[in-house]
Amino acid sequence: MSAGDPPELRASADGSDEPPPILGSWRRLYTLVIAVLVVIILLLALLTRAYA
Amino acid sequence: MTPLDWAVWFGTLGAFVAYGIWRGRATRDLTGYLVAGRSMPWPAVALSVMATQASAITFLSTPGQGFADGLRFVQFYFGLPLAMVVLCVTAIPIYHRLKVFTAYEYLERRFDAKTRTLASSLFLLQRGLAAGLTIYAPALILSVLLGWDVRWVCVLLGGLVAVATAWGGSRAVTHSHFLQFSIIMATMVLAFALVVRSLPPGVGWLDATALAGRLGKLNALNVAFDPDDRYNLWSGLIGGFFLQLSYFGTDQSQVGRYLCGQSVAQSRLGLLFNGLFKIPMQFGILFLGIMVFAFYLFAPAPLFHNPVEARRVAAGPHGVEWQALEARHAGAAEMRAEAARDYVAARRDADERAIEAAGRTLESAQREIGEVRVQATELIRATDPGAQTSDTNYIFLGYVLRYLPVGIVGLVLACIFAASMNSTSSELNALASTTVVDVYKRLHRGDTDRHEVKVSRFATLGWTAFAVAFAEYASRLGSLIEAVNILGSLFYGTILGIFLTAFLLPRVGGTPVFVGALVAQVTVLACFRLTGISFLWYNLIGCAVVMVVGRVLSVGRARPAAATRT
Repeated sequence: MSAGDPPELRASADGSDEPPPILGSWRRLYTLVIAVLVVIILLLALLTRAYA
Repeated sequence: MTPLDWAVWFGTLGAFVAYGIWRGRATRDLTGYLVAGRSMPWPAVALSVMATQASAITFLSTPGQGFADGLRFVQFYFGLPLAMVVLCVTAIPIYHRLKVFTAYEYLERRFDAKTRTLASSLFLLQRGLAAGLTIYAPALILSVLLGWDVRWVCVLLGGLVAVATAWGGSRAVTHSHFLQFSIIMATMVLAFALVVRSLPPGVGWLDATALAGRLGKLNALNVAFDPDDRYNLWSGLIGGFFLQLSYFGTDQSQVGRYLCGQSVAQSRLGLLFNGLFKIPMQFGILFLGIMVFAFYLFAPAPLFHNPVEARRVAAGPHGVEWQALEARHAGAAEMRAEAARDYVAARRDADERAIEAAGRTLESAQREIGEVRVQATELIRATDPGAQTSDTNYIFLGYVLRYLPVGIVGLVLACIFAASMNSTSSELNALASTTVVDVYKRLHRGDTDRHEVKVSRFATLGWTAFAVAFAEYASRLGSLIEAVNILGSLFYGTILGIFLTAFLLPRVGGTPVFVGALVAQVTVLACFRLTGISFLWYNLIGCAVVMVVGRVLSVGRARPAAATRT
């Protein structure tokens, strides 16, 4: 999206620029979700190895 | 089943339906009916998204999968958190800003009417059939275990869903999902605790885990790359990512759930919650199956968990061989139980040599049981070539009916019905939305809101009737179930490709993406017919072909007008 977009496509009062309730920015929240996925995969790898 | 179980079962279901009707009572306009007035906070969005994906089959089949195949199925969901993040960045802001009711509405604004018609028609066809299967699959299992006629179970399930969904629309659906899914999860936690409690004295859940691990059930991760292997790290991360992206980004039954969010932020938080908790939830359900497996190491297990098929073989021309197999199975199970007790005792004494000896006996007995079960499925096939030779779906509910306390049995059954109602209600609401917004409203412009709500209610009832009718048809043509599931996976990649082109490739217009979609479809069908590639990869292949062909055909094309850009 860019400044040249019509009003209905711009960030507006619909909350698209509203920050998340935790961590201050969406980018950080997305990083948290991906980090949790990595941790889960590592834990599953440990579980698999422990009982291999 | 005791009278208390019946009372709990139908009392709980009645309360769920009444709650849905009550919450949907204020629905007067189309925005309220189709997207709950775009008023839902993120917890409601999150649980509604999760409830839609987790059908009754999730709670019936997944523990059975854990029992039979261990934890490896959990890898199927590895791509889901990544898909949630991508959708938060791309789809959610666009859908919210354009204030669309359906995902396909956006395609006409971005491309043209033919692309919207193609995508919405594919959705109506696939989802209409899938709704029938969502009703049929648990109805079949319940009918087998309870001895009921499957057609009446289908009618009961369809009727319960239709009442609340047709009356209250999306508002009723979202509120019902929140309540029902919370109760379902609490019941699953309770069931887990009761399974662990039912283990023999002196055998704890850690012992049970060790036993299951020794028998290869804790195989949660496979890092070997094999495109023919359905569940491994790479198929889950890459193939699963594209599958989940298609499902959550382009399937109206999910898009309709997060369009109910009161803002972009609330919808995003709903999806991210799903991204955080879906894998742990699936792990928990698979682990419940592992605990049931551990329980049956000490208790007598049936040779085959589908009682109807077992009875049919026992009474048929192979009855004598079946009885011999049952005796062999019981002997091996006794040897396995003895070895399991020795294994637990050796672990307690930290006697490595005894652990190894008991472990070997355990494995040997398990192999014997596996061989007996293979022979049993051959007898089932010999008795009836069209019979179901997998009993995975019957394991958990069979355990519940036999071993859980009075009252809890009724609660679990109510939760399984509720899970089926949750996913079916989302499907019916999405089918009604697409029928009204993408078909009816384009042909009848200028109708009042009140009239459009009435049409939406009729559309919901019509799709319910279609789904129940198809469920009855499916009951006579069992192999069709698999065919329809494969059919769905054949089209998801193409539809996803259309949407990702819309989001990410601003130079590509309607005709190039349409041609790309046709080429992609032929490619995916060729992969299906001519190769052994697992269906998860079709999503990636179809999507990539649409985008590449669309982009190539648009080389040299001017950037489109601002009104169509995203």
